[in-house]
Amino acid sequence: MHQSCLHPNFLRSVASLVTAALAFSFFCVSSIAQEANPAQANAPAQENSAATQAISAVPQLEFDVPTISLKGSDARAQILVRCKSSSSNSSSIEDLTRSVRFTLSNPSLISIDANGLVTPLASGKLTVTAIADGYAPASAEVSVELSSQEELVNFPNQVVPIFTKFGCNGGGCHGKIAGQNGFRLSLLGSEAAEDYEHLVRESRGRRLFPAAPDTSLLLTKSVGSVPHGGGQRMDVDSHEYRVLRRWIAQAMPYGDPNGRKVSSISVTPSTRQMLRNSAQQLCVVASYSDGSTEDITRTVQYESNNLDMAEVDANGLVKIRDYAGEVSIMARYQGQVTVFRASVPIGVLTQSLPIARGKIDEAVFAKLTALGVPPSDLCDDQTFLRRVTLDIAGRLPTLAEIESLQLAQSSGGSPDAVQARRAEIVDRLLASQDYASNFASKWSAILRNNHTSEDTRYGAYAFHDWLRTSFFENKPINILVRELLTATGDVESNPAVVWFRQVNNTESRIEDIAQLFLGQRLQCARCHHHPYEKWAQQDYYQMAAFFSTVERREGTLPNEPKFVSRIANASANHPKTGQSLPPTGLDAPKTELANFQDPRAALADWMTASINPFFAKSIANRYWKHFLGKGLVEPEDDMRISNPPSNPELLDNLTFELIQSGFDLKHLIRSICTSTTYQLSANANELNIRDTNCFSRYYPKRLQAEMLLDAIDAVSGSTTQFEGMPLGTRAVELPDTSFASYFLTVFGRPDSSTACECERTISSTLAQSLHLLNSKEMQSKLGADASYASTWSATAVVDASLSPSENIRKTGPLRIRELYLRALSRPPTDSEQSVALEYLMQRSDKLREAYEDLLWSVINSKEFLFNH
Amino acid sequence: MLQFLGGSQKMCSGLSRRNFISAGSLCFGYGGFTLADLLRAEEAAGKKSSHKGLINIFLGGGPPHQDMWDIKTEAPSEIRGEFSPISTNVAGIDICEVFPQLAQRMDKAAIIRSVVGCKDRHESHQCMSGWFPDDLKALGGRPSIGSAVARLQGSVDSAVPPFVGLAAKTQHGPWSNSGEAGFLGAAYSAFKPDGPGMENMKLQSIGLDRLKDRRRLLTSIDTMRRDIDASGIMAGMDAFEQRALDVLTSSKLLDALDLSKEDPKLVERYGDGKPYKYQYDGAPTCNDHLLIARRLIEAGVRVVSLSYGRWDSHGQNFDLVRDHGSKLDQCLSALMDDLQQRDMLDNVTIIVWGEFGRTPKINNGAGRDHWSQVSSAWLAGGGMRTGQAIGATNRLGEYAKERPVHMQEIIATLYHNLGISVSTSTIVDPTGRPQFLVDHEPIRELI
Repeated sequence: MHQSCLHPNFLRSVASLVTAALAFSFFCVSSIAQEANPAQANAPAQENSAATQAISAVPQLEFDVPTISLKGSDARAQILVRCKSSSSNSSSIEDLTRSVRFTLSNPSLISIDANGLVTPLASGKLTVTAIADGYAPASAEVSVELSSQEELVNFPNQVVPIFTKFGCNGGGCHGKIAGQNGFRLSLLGSEAAEDYEHLVRESRGRRLFPAAPDTSLLLTKSVGSVPHGGGQRMDVDSHEYRVLRRWIAQAMPYGDPNGRKVSSISVTPSTRQMLRNSAQQLCVVASYSDGSTEDITRTVQYESNNLDMAEVDANGLVKIRDYAGEVSIMARYQGQVTVFRASVPIGVLTQSLPIARGKIDEAVFAKLTALGVPPSDLCDDQTFLRRVTLDIAGRLPTLAEIESLQLAQSSGGSPDAVQARRAEIVDRLLASQDYASNFASKWSAILRNNHTSEDTRYGAYAFHDWLRTSFFENKPINILVRELLTATGDVESNPAVVWFRQVNNTESRIEDIAQLFLGQRLQCARCHHHPYEKWAQQDYYQMAAFFSTVERREGTLPNEPKFVSRIANASANHPKTGQSLPPTGLDAPKTELANFQDPRAALADWMTASINPFFAKSIANRYWKHFLGKGLVEPEDDMRISNPPSNPELLDNLTFELIQSGFDLKHLIRSICTSTTYQLSANANELNIRDTNCFSRYYPKRLQAEMLLDAIDAVSGSTTQFEGMPLGTRAVELPDTSFASYFLTVFGRPDSSTACECERTISSTLAQSLHLLNSKEMQSKLGADASYASTWSATAVVDASLSPSENIRKTGPLRIRELYLRALSRPPTDSEQSVALEYLMQRSDKLREAYEDLLWSVINSKEFLFNH
Repeated sequence: MLQFLGGSQKMCSGLSRRNFISAGSLCFGYGGFTLADLLRAEEAAGKKSSHKGLINIFLGGGPPHQDMWDIKTEAPSEIRGEFSPISTNVAGIDICEVFPQLAQRMDKAAIIRSVVGCKDRHESHQCMSGWFPDDLKALGGRPSIGSAVARLQGSVDSAVPPFVGLAAKTQHGPWSNSGEAGFLGAAYSAFKPDGPGMENMKLQSIGLDRLKDRRRLLTSIDTMRRDIDASGIMAGMDAFEQRALDVLTSSKLLDALDLSKEDPKLVERYGDGKPYKYQYDGAPTCNDHLLIARRLIEAGVRVVSLSYGRWDSHGQNFDLVRDHGSKLDQCLSALMDDLQQRDMLDNVTIIVWGEFGRTPKINNGAGRDHWSQVSSAWLAGGGMRTGQAIGATNRLGEYAKERPVHMQEIIATLYHNLGISVSTSTIVDPTGRPQFLVDHEPIRELI
């Protein structure tokens, strides 16, 4: 059932998600100067370079890794030669590996190809010198150590990676649970011993034929000399073919099962500032459990997270295209991941930055400076009011709020006065019930609260009420999560237990908790160790053990069960080994618990501790996304090493802020909303128009389904009736997502069937356009007797002695202004005013319809449909 | 003639959410069409491609395999039943005498007599998706073939949805399930010709002139910069707004659904399937649906699913097959001829099947009961190698004796015919994990 999990397309899919998220990317990472990578021996090289440049103007070549050792006949090494960019005011570094010539002090020991790949020929030591016209040469020491007898090929470390590199063990091929045409491999080589079993023990001769290795099906199929469904995968004269051939000729040794294993991989360089249309060769080295290392540049798999910006070939050559911004290249090998990040500046920032009002702005502006992206100006007061009211309270500002802002504007336009009145707005909104309703609605959906029948209704309402009250009272998020995790009793005594009713098995509970509050996706690890993820089955079941004592008991009503933690030793069995695992947090020491202790309390202790590496970070990231429209990590609940934050410093600052404040969500929101970054205009300048994750401007967001419906009601003067709710209940106030509404569904309201925010969609569809354009629902809102169109047209005539259209000239402007204020929080411009007035006056005989049309047009304008 | 239009569902709070989704899903299927689809469709426009299509005819209730495509002449009378085999235009393949017209077209069809992997559950989910409703239920379930195709291939014509479900609501709900969108979400569910989405496609409260007035007014005041939204949603809304106007002013889809626009002779050739007999809580034998299906595919739909008859013959099995079977013989043979005549048969796959087979032994009420061990499927078109019968049951029609064919192999074949490789295509589920469409390969004998 789960065999599809590790299809090779997975990467592509994940990468394309990332790519989509980062389209036209400008994502910010730390600049070269801040990067510290002890493995690279950067520092001496740079000193050397500086010294040389002081003496002569000739640029100095440098080896990224000045000492190279090759051990064994299968070893290879990637040489990298670099130079500081010749252009004066740039800190970019150029990769010259493919343009220099190499001279060897002893040519019989190694050979170097045009791409800088070194292969050993004989044991010994030598010096390699890189030479290029116009550059000062550089040297590196190379040592070669070959064994006197033929070395045995190691199956897990040498053969399996070949299967992975060529896609043999991918989920679409032999890596399927059922294998392909009778030949089965573990997905991406996750189980080398099983692969050996299938390949060697079950082959019965033809597949592997040590007496004449070249006739083995493994080889003949791979090179396409006999028909192979997967086509030709390698060449006869390739390194990989020779390794496989030698392995077969050696009668297929497995190697020491307890031998060295890859413990980590690292890439050189790990970050680099680069120029547009330049290239960089990568070098990837594996570190093994026995302390040894191996150059695996040609064996790892590479993936660019933004193909618009950079592509990478199978040999690890990265080519930057003609875009500025930032791009990550991931390298994967034997379950390990490492990331190379390149930043490609637009230019040099010449304008001055707006006032930084704290650590958020400092981190954002540092990135903008590094990439040369100028931020937009601060937005005006009305725009800010509309933006922050939608984001915090989930509704449009009222006329009263707009008026009070106009009063407050008398305090003047000095930056401090502006900041003060905006901070006041934020505080007022945070103190409101609307804030609590908006965030209860957000969390209710991802906590999967809904009711499918009458007898689950009460629980759903109670749970929502618990959330709303918690947010209103500003219950610290660590306490809220603790109450949720440890909920005991029935819905009457403790509404938080409804989460256990809704998420009704241990697996879903642990997966949801990890995704919601740790930003970790554990789903894959339920069935196997995902080769690209950190977490193994052991991690999964150790976490699951925290919920192993939860028991559902009959409550007073059938669908209102009671949840308790029974007295027992908490444990979960590893599905493969059968080993009983104690409850243990991710990357945490195991928890010692007596059988009468509720393990969920221990889970809460670990999760919500201020030193927990995941909790505060994931909350900070989720909230950042709520306000700024894009997470620092995207998707917001998938925070892996291979999915790095766009601005790590900013994420750290937000996390620190949240922890320092005692997990105070209102404090976090206040910090975000009063930052200059949040207050930047959505209007782009020439240089930041393509910025989608540096936060150099505010990114417009389409109003979410509930907010949009409420906003349409507010602007048209109508209400929507939801079944079983008092008239006047707004969509954002609904206890859960079970209320039938075509409007809400078509505009992407989630089903609450997963813990993923992604269930809520804001993409545009034809059905939405048809609904706004032509539905009975819209028309009945515009045309209802209580609607503004109706009252405005009924009260249009104020002077019977004047013609109808003269009357409209008198009454129209105020109504138009009122409409604009209500919908867009700003008065109409002169031209908007005259367009609207003219439209009304031309239709003085059917004024009500004309007002409906005007309302309709404003509602359908992008300025209304978006928060900007 | 279009009884499903007359009986369109009104939205009311009495509907459960699930019902609501399917009742109202016309628009979602329609809406399941993203900006990328739109651009792709517009790019493809003008190239007037003869796209691949699928007509999935679900025989709800479990049609008796041994009284249709797999007559057991050597079985004792308490198993064999009332029907005699007739020879077809393919030597060696005999089918039930109720299907004389299909027998004459056997060279253009294929029969699978050894369908396995069904569950004894009265629902169309498996025939629509290859999966059980419980599969990935926590994420919303597995998407049906139509939804997956909508996701993977988008629309052929931007004013026409890629996936249409014609099944009218039946009292036994799962028989009218046109195929769920599952974890893909409402945006990819079947367009159903009822509900508010359908209503939205017809100009209602306001006339076209007023709509155009509104549009002009909107254009003059909707001046916000579009380029500040890098997500493309704003541009998408503009594009869809234009498209929505196209839909409201032209009516390609509505026309396809309207048989009064069809040649009456052809309508007659398909027959009307009336009077509807043995319907109870199931689907009517609505022959029109097959003709509408052809019209929809012609208009640009990729997948049409429909539910034909109620085959749960616990009693009066033979009378039921005589009734339903001869009606099916008429409209299915008409569909084959029609597609052939329009040069569409090679591009359009027709499949006719049900959720399971029926018991070999005839019960006391001259009926047959549920039998999930084996069943049959009938296919035509789609560029398949036709004129063959694949697999065989044992002498009594109890189990697959030769070449058992899993239901997912059939679904895989349908995907293949639609131009989708099941070994490389995946759909990302809400957890970010890529899911293969099915776990089995296409039937190599057919492709």
